[in-house]
Amino acid sequence: MIRVCDLMHKGVLYCYPDDSAQVIADMMATNRIRSVAVVDESGEVWGSVSMLDLLQLYGKKLDKTQAQEIMRPYRIEVDPQWPIEKAIELMKKHRIEHLLIIDPHAGPKRPVGILTDFDIVRYMSHVELGVYEQMLKVPSD
Amino acid sequence: MRLMKRGAITVGEDATVREVAQVMVVNRIGYCVVVNDKHEVVGIISPRSILRAFGMDLDRTKAKDILLPHTITITPSSPLSEAVALMLEKRVDHLVVIADRPGSRAVYGILHGEDLVRAMAKNQETKA
Repeated sequence: MIRVCDLMHKGVLYCYPDDSAQVIADMMATNRIRSVAVVDESGEVWGSVSMLDLLQLYGKKLDKTQAQEIMRPYRIEVDPQWPIEKAIELMKKHRIEHLLIIDPHAGPKRPVGILTDFDIVRYMSHVELGVYEQMLKVPSD
Repeated sequence: MRLMKRGAITVGEDATVREVAQVMVVNRIGYCVVVNDKHEVVGIISPRSILRAFGMDLDRTKAKDILLPHTITITPSSPLSEAVALMLEKRVDHLVVIADRPGSRAVYGILHGEDLVRAMAKNQETKA
């Protein structure tokens, strides 16, 4: 059985609720990511900001808007040990492109990873990590 | 539109969903443009479209069964604000750009959401 923790990215890039949208745009541009978690000083998750959330500010001043104003509040709890099918059903039902995965053993809800729709595409394609080079090679006979 | 990239990764409308997923993973892209025999844009497939096909037979379901139709396109002369509005309305990260010629449905390029974010980040820096 494939579990959520087998496919998720370990570790999460995060910002604080009062960080400006400029900080988030810089993080996304530098790290080439599509979503950033929003956590408070204790490390507890408040929500997340996706690329589409940020694009709503196109043409506006990014440094005047705080992360907490554009973030989607954290609502959907996902355990790293869940079977992947359960997470996929949640993504389909709520029409979201990523799920924050929370450490079930910590008291505060601390994010330990992120599962994106692209991780699911990789799973469904049956292409293993690191096999791209093999697939791109011209077969020699 | 300076932000768009010329050309795009395409698949035929009869490609299976598994093949489309493999094209995305091997090329490390978050979209796939679906074209017909005449190389005209039929639609676009996003990772979410693939996700929706979870549970179906991926080796039998075709690209044309899951694509978002070609209405989600812009032209090179479209204002960026219009492109952003379309992305937000349809909740897609990429838009297919087709040539300005009347009646043309050939792929001209792709506008990536991440290029828009990069431009937003840079603009602010130069102003500050």
